[in-house]
Amino acid sequence: MSRKLLETDGQNWVEKGIISPEQHARLLALYPEDAHAVGLLPLLGSLLVGLSALSLVAANWQGLPELVRLGLLLGSMMAAYAAGEYFYRRGNDQLGLGLVALGLILFGAGIILTSQLYQLIGYDLTGLLAWAVAGMGITWVYRSRLLFLLTAIISGVVQGYNTGQLGAFSYLTAAFTALGLGYYWWRRPDSLTGAVLASGLLWQATLLVSYLHIKLTWFFVPAMLVYALGDWQPHRPAARAVQGPPLVAAFLFTLGLALFGEADSYTDELRPPLLAYLAALGAVLALSLWGKARRGRLSSATDWLLLLPGFYFRGGLALAVATLVVLYAYSGAVLARAQQEHNPDRVTLGTVLFVITTAVAYFKLTWGFLDKSLFFLVGGLLLLGLWWYLRRTAARSASSSASTRP
Amino acid sequence: MSFVSDSVPASPGTPPLAPFLPDLPEPTRRRWLRWLVLAQVLFVLGVAASGYATGAWGRTIWLRTTPVDPRDLLYGDYVTLAYTISQVPGHLWRGAQPARRNQAAYVLLQPGSDGTCSAVGIYPEKPAPTPTQAVLRGSVQQVWRRSLTLRYGLERYYVPEGSGKKLERHPRLQVQVRIAPWGQARITQVVPDSAAHE
Repeated sequence: MSRKLLETDGQNWVEKGIISPEQHARLLALYPEDAHAVGLLPLLGSLLVGLSALSLVAANWQGLPELVRLGLLLGSMMAAYAAGEYFYRRGNDQLGLGLVALGLILFGAGIILTSQLYQLIGYDLTGLLAWAVAGMGITWVYRSRLLFLLTAIISGVVQGYNTGQLGAFSYLTAAFTALGLGYYWWRRPDSLTGAVLASGLLWQATLLVSYLHIKLTWFFVPAMLVYALGDWQPHRPAARAVQGPPLVAAFLFTLGLALFGEADSYTDELRPPLLAYLAALGAVLALSLWGKARRGRLSSATDWLLLLPGFYFRGGLALAVATLVVLYAYSGAVLARAQQEHNPDRVTLGTVLFVITTAVAYFKLTWGFLDKSLFFLVGGLLLLGLWWYLRRTAARSASSSASTRP
Repeated sequence: MSFVSDSVPASPGTPPLAPFLPDLPEPTRRRWLRWLVLAQVLFVLGVAASGYATGAWGRTIWLRTTPVDPRDLLYGDYVTLAYTISQVPGHLWRGAQPARRNQAAYVLLQPGSDGTCSAVGIYPEKPAPTPTQAVLRGSVQQVWRRSLTLRYGLERYYVPEGSGKKLERHPRLQVQVRIAPWGQARITQVVPDSAAHE
């Protein structure tokens, strides 16, 4: 129960005579006020002081001798790390980690400004990689989510800069992100870092696909590899978090296929060599299923419905319809699993997916109304049948558990 | 949600494959931090030293630029430079295999009568230059039917404050580059083409 609820509703309970004012006070005492808001103040304060110093230096930067500039960069970086460690050791974790993060940012600034000082641009690739590696090192030393998040952002920015500005993909950066942050998440499973890790890796996979000028569907091979990583993770919430971004990407892609696939004008852009693509995706599928079987989650194998390579269909309308069927099957599967697990959040998710799919089907399919009517009739009947079946199994399991009770 | 208190134990029921990673004990943490900070300081110093050494001991060459499109060269605090050797004829390629994108390319440079260098050959491996020649390392950006687009990492010049506008008025520039014996190259000077260099 949250303190906020106690504060607002508690007054009501006292007035209705459910609890006495003393009991209300005692209940409130059980939920002490969140100290985090207070911990944020020194962080913001130091940020402002830092910004002021930064502006002062930046205004006079060009006029300073080279050695002074170098000294300022290195000195502020070491000071930030030292102060961070000092506060962290004293138990002020937020301020300490904030300062360590500042030190890491200053390291990046040091590399970039020193490169500019000596007109070294070709150096950036290695230089920025060093920044990402330093971030991973610091994350491992402090075992902190804030530093994990910062390192993931740095790796993504470094990779974006490499491909966008320098015209080169840094495989080392990608490998370090996957291994360094991936293994950290593996050993310290957590929802937030899982979602951040998956998003960061998908971003780099997107950059790789665009850099190599290959068919964009190749994206799903690394994306589903990230998904398969989640299958092997024993910690359930962390596993779900890491599987979220790949599934969102796959769902949006399939939705796009349903929306625009009918035109068949650019689906050629989506077709990699059939055997190579299916072999690669099949290998990832096997890995994923193996993990699911080991962790007893085979029921979630329906997620792979979204990866059916419907874009090899050359049918135009047939492709759009097939894609819609896949989308219906997927959202139905999400609903069915949610019912089985009695998970209201996932029921909502499944319903939303179902409604989106239906909206797409209604507005996109350029059929006569009779065909449309038949399509929705079949869909509706299927859903009703599913609902009835689930209700019946739920009732049966409830009654059987009731009858076994003494 | 706090970013800091993240000691989330593995869910009960399913035995974790790898044991949950605990926090580092304080002495170990401080030792590692010291090494990491030292490495970062050394890295920044290394960048500076390599830049300084290239400027001090590098071999000097002059390159000519071509006008960049769009004309707005000044982009924030740097100007964009395109060299005459950024676009080279394909017949200068000396590799056994045809050139590929993102491949390393070593450009053999020969100074002309006006002192600026032009490309006389492009090699996939570092060639041996004669005493008058120099070698600049680049990478193949684009392979066209009759030419190659190369990139050297010298396409940006961070201008000293105020001089950007002055450079921008000239369509052609001459760029002084120093190449270190270990291959690192950096711009040391940018002047308008009309101003003869000494």
